[in-house]
Amino acid sequence: MSSHDAHLTREEVVDRVLDVLKSHPKVDPSKVTPEAHFEKDLGLDSLDTVEVVMAIEEEFKLEIPDKEADKIDSLPLAIEYVANHPMAG
Amino acid sequence: MAAVAAPTRAEALSLFRSLLRTAKQFSDYNIREYTRRRAADAFRENRALPDAPAAAAAFAEGKKQLEVAKRQAVVYSLYAPKSKSVMELKVQ
Repeated sequence: MSSHDAHLTREEVVDRVLDVLKSHPKVDPSKVTPEAHFEKDLGLDSLDTVEVVMAIEEEFKLEIPDKEADKIDSLPLAIEYVANHPMAG
Repeated sequence: MAAVAAPTRAEALSLFRSLLRTAKQFSDYNIREYTRRRAADAFRENRALPDAPAAAAAFAEGKKQLEVAKRQAVVYSLYAPKSKSVMELKVQ
């Protein structure tokens, strides 16, 4: 699953973020779209959101600081963060 | 009990995140998953505490448990299992 290529394409980031969300036990995979909001569209609460962001960190081998992680509450923001992160792998 | 302010939402989420990060350091699958599950369950159970002292007490307990988890992560790292749990193996 994980790529050893230094540079991730945007499509790859989108695909992998979608996969992380779809495999979360509380998420209905059919509702996951690149535009979805964690709480409004996927019905997650703030604790689920922390877990999801942590799962995204793990997928891309990143550590997102608390201040940044608190802001990520939707797929567009998550994709944006990972796509702009130089160390995402 | 001294009148202590309830933790803010950001403080609570930050403690939860720290617990999850510490959980990830355990090399043993069972301990790792247990720590993660235990943190998530406790935060869900205590999400709607009636008053500030109860919330402050739960928060203090969480911080204590974080210290325990950090310590245990170090101890467990000295006795890391030599093989992976069957739960960690990728299905071919």
